[in-house]
Amino acid sequence: MTNYYTVAGHIFSVCGEEEIFSRMDNYAPFSSGAAETVVFSLSVEGGEPPAYVEEIRQDDEGQVIICGRTPAGEPVFEYRWGGKSAGWLICSADYVRSRLVVTDGYQKLAVDNALMVLYALATARLQTALFHAAAVSYKDCAYMFLGKSGTGKSTHARLWQQYIEGVELVNDDNPVVRIMDDGQAWVFGSPWSGKTPCYRPVSYPLKGIVLLSQAPYNKIERLRGIQAYAALVPSISGKRWDERIADGLHQTENTLASHVPVWHLECLPDEAAARICNETISA
Amino acid sequence: MQIKSGFVLREVCGEKVIVGEGLDAINFGKLLSLNETAAWLWKQAKEMGDFSVDDLAAKLCEEYEVLADDAKADVAEMLDEWKQVGVVE
Repeated sequence: MTNYYTVAGHIFSVCGEEEIFSRMDNYAPFSSGAAETVVFSLSVEGGEPPAYVEEIRQDDEGQVIICGRTPAGEPVFEYRWGGKSAGWLICSADYVRSRLVVTDGYQKLAVDNALMVLYALATARLQTALFHAAAVSYKDCAYMFLGKSGTGKSTHARLWQQYIEGVELVNDDNPVVRIMDDGQAWVFGSPWSGKTPCYRPVSYPLKGIVLLSQAPYNKIERLRGIQAYAALVPSISGKRWDERIADGLHQTENTLASHVPVWHLECLPDEAAARICNETISA
Repeated sequence: MQIKSGFVLREVCGEKVIVGEGLDAINFGKLLSLNETAAWLWKQAKEMGDFSVDDLAAKLCEEYEVLADDAKADVAEMLDEWKQVGVVE
């Protein structure tokens, strides 16, 4: 069977055995009708692992992603958890048509990771970026919190919800930002939200981006130009050694750095941090 | 001397910046800001592939009104910085 999903206005399709979809509850809120054109399609299959040559690997606490190419030049991503292969994603050069070869274990993780990678790469040229961030809404606008893993993005988002009236979580780990045709940047919920289930098909205009770092005090300052750009780049998923992907992401990052206020908040994990941040950036 | 593979000249908020994007430069983790002249020299160096201080100083003299000795000193200083940051080898 084939299902269609819409995330930030971009439609993609997933085709596979019914069993795969029984574990895709997080995608249900993004379900959409069949579409003739999609930004990408993924087919989930069994079968033999592809032959490929490794280009680079990323090891994140035992979760390994190996990037490479088949002899025919197709991009490949292999996912390994705890030393065991969970799947191989084989893409067309433009990432529009892909198949995921799954194994017996970690199928859900492999499907989620494959769809995130494909979404980030297939939409990079469409003024769209998949962020590693927490996003909240307040007074009909969205605010995003960035930072390295363990900095306290989720904690800061929770403090806003706890102490500031009218704040809701948009996404806890992977919101999407899209620059619309009128040039305005919007934040969208997604089917990927890290450890906090928060799969909401909502959208708000993006009014502020905050880079967090831990400190024994609370202090916020505005970042401009190159500094703002440098704050955004590490928080956006991509494959920058692919020139076309890098070009697309650069355009989006440049537009955001030029048009959306970017801030640096050095903070404690406390109520005062949420208040000073909220009062400064929503003013 | 040559520009290391993977480094790209980009325009960020109206300024010229070198970023590491290629496979060999993906962990650069910095942005190198260039003024207009340095950005122009970067493009010349990229076109030449292999270049020396004298090559770039000569280019600089062709394009801008500058004394040969001054051009050489400026280019040498700039290349020292680029070497230290690690974008040329």
